[in-house]
Amino acid sequence: MKAKPAELILSLAILVLGIATAIGTAQLPSAGGYARIGPNVAPGVIASGLILLGIWLLYETFTGGWRNAVDDDPAARGEHRFTPSGFIWVSLGVIAEILLIDRGGFVLAQAVLFAAVARGFGSVKLPRDFAIGVILSLSIFLFFVKFLNVNLPAGWLKPILGGAGI
Amino acid sequence: MGETFGLLMHGFSIALTPLNLLWGLIGTMLGTFIGVLPGVGPALTVAMLMPLTVKLDPTGALIMFAGIYYGAMYGGSTTTILLNTPGESASIATALEGNMMAKNGRAGPALATCAIGSFVAGTIATILVTLLAPLVVEVALKFGPTEYFALMVFAFTTVAAVIGSSTVRGLTSLFLGLLLGVVGIDSQTGKSRFAFGVPELLDGIDVVVLAVGLFAVGEALYVAAYASRLEEKLEQIKGSLWMSKQDWQRSWPAWLRATAIGFPFGSIPAGGAEIPTFLSYAVEKRLTKYPEEFGHGAIEGVAGPEAANNASVTGALVPLLTLGIPTSATAAVLLSAFQNYGISPGPLLFQMQPDLVWGLLASLYIGNVLLLILNLPLVGMWVKVLTIPQPLLYAGILVFATLGAYSLHQSVVDLITLYVFGLLGFAMRRWDIPVAPAVIGLILGPLAETQARRALAISQGDATVFITHPISGSILALSLALLILPVIVKLRRRN
Repeated sequence: MKAKPAELILSLAILVLGIATAIGTAQLPSAGGYARIGPNVAPGVIASGLILLGIWLLYETFTGGWRNAVDDDPAARGEHRFTPSGFIWVSLGVIAEILLIDRGGFVLAQAVLFAAVARGFGSVKLPRDFAIGVILSLSIFLFFVKFLNVNLPAGWLKPILGGAGI
Repeated sequence: MGETFGLLMHGFSIALTPLNLLWGLIGTMLGTFIGVLPGVGPALTVAMLMPLTVKLDPTGALIMFAGIYYGAMYGGSTTTILLNTPGESASIATALEGNMMAKNGRAGPALATCAIGSFVAGTIATILVTLLAPLVVEVALKFGPTEYFALMVFAFTTVAAVIGSSTVRGLTSLFLGLLLGVVGIDSQTGKSRFAFGVPELLDGIDVVVLAVGLFAVGEALYVAAYASRLEEKLEQIKGSLWMSKQDWQRSWPAWLRATAIGFPFGSIPAGGAEIPTFLSYAVEKRLTKYPEEFGHGAIEGVAGPEAANNASVTGALVPLLTLGIPTSATAAVLLSAFQNYGISPGPLLFQMQPDLVWGLLASLYIGNVLLLILNLPLVGMWVKVLTIPQPLLYAGILVFATLGAYSLHQSVVDLITLYVFGLLGFAMRRWDIPVAPAVIGLILGPLAETQARRALAISQGDATVFITHPISGSILALSLALLILPVIVKLRRRN
């Protein structure tokens, strides 16, 4: 039986992560003061563990595939075929939020996130979703800043929200 | 015993102050509301609602968390029954019969047996926690770092290797969590580890960011990719909510048996409510007088697993409060909530902050009563929550989830790590790698390292102490046996 590419890649990723951890561990100091176990001991144990697990996963990959794994056919799992647009829109939403939140502010970043995620789940009413996103994140913003005294960035909306306390 | 009772009454006097009662009420309402949302389990609920408690005093905050914790579970069972989408693995057994009952127009009694069963199991389990916790504290006070380290290794083994479909994938998840746990400044030597010069990483990776990344972002990516175009059928509640006499007669023995099964599983550090729920389902299936109904909506099959789930989740508070060891992802998030308040659960907590501990325990009783009163009359409102269209629902979940991660330190770095954990969560979900061991590994790993170092400092570097100390030696031997025995059994069968 041929090894499944995904299982092969994931097993190798664990193995490589283990090796990288081992390399990183080698650069850590070993002196542990009176505790006698330095900051490199736990990472060393973790690195060895990951390397062993990577090898174990590789072994399973090449001997009939990972044991008790879920079915590769989405229909057999009661799901539909992989929909790239869903994955991409949700990702874009989070990435846009990361880029926007400090400059554009919380309200805009969260509204963009809201609209993009809704789009990823098949909604086609983009202006409506964005409007709901603005209302939701504006309520959260005001609640956090006014009531909980937790600062959130106002960003580009500062001229309007400036009175909100930031 | 009398002393415990006195302390508990003192706890009630704290939990029943109007303000604390209000926090408990808000907690149960919010917990149920978020818990009802499909795809949101209790761990994510607690993580998402954590920022709301920043301004509360520790006792009030923990009382609110207790409400959220219970509310999330009650809410989850509503979704499980009406939508057949178990929010967590411990709800799968409830879904088997519960959704069939709803399909047959018996959603009302199914919800009722869940709510009342959860109340019965939760209350009995809370009584057991109250009685057991002081005893465990007595023992735990005699534990040294050696014993603690052994107990933590035991918890790692059971959580990662015993529960779940694959030992190697469970351990992989655990080690990923342990690796994330060493990122940042080493508490003992002040050396930075794997922070790659990013100042935000020096403080370490927050459990909330990992939990929200895996459970919210990962889940959203997965559902958007594989299940966003599916038609989900929401069962309507037809007829009476109330249970018939026969329903009662069939439910109450199941509740009690399930409590007896669920509590021990939760209270020994062998966490996970998954095994007891399936065990209870199997027991009820074997004992029932109506075997033909199983698979078509047998009420015992709902009553048992749901009660077992509640008993086990409540039982998990014993190791969490008395030893500081979380045995489920939810308990791990709760532990991080404790830590945010500078509280380290353990035997000393019972001595140093009795007000907090007993106020919390008393609020568990109150939370159970509140939920029983609130849940059934308000079920119509929870059902409305379920009619929110999926695109808006997940968009809202992500807005709250990223808010939870961002508001921790107002840092974009937390959002970037959140997205990376989301991708990880997607892969783990798709290729069946359990996520709970990673969450537990992240929070428990650094604690285990500290205990191991203390033990070795006391023994002056002699590593054999872990084996020669009788208690830690036997716990470690047991852990090893749990790891190795299944392999031996498998090899023998092959021969």
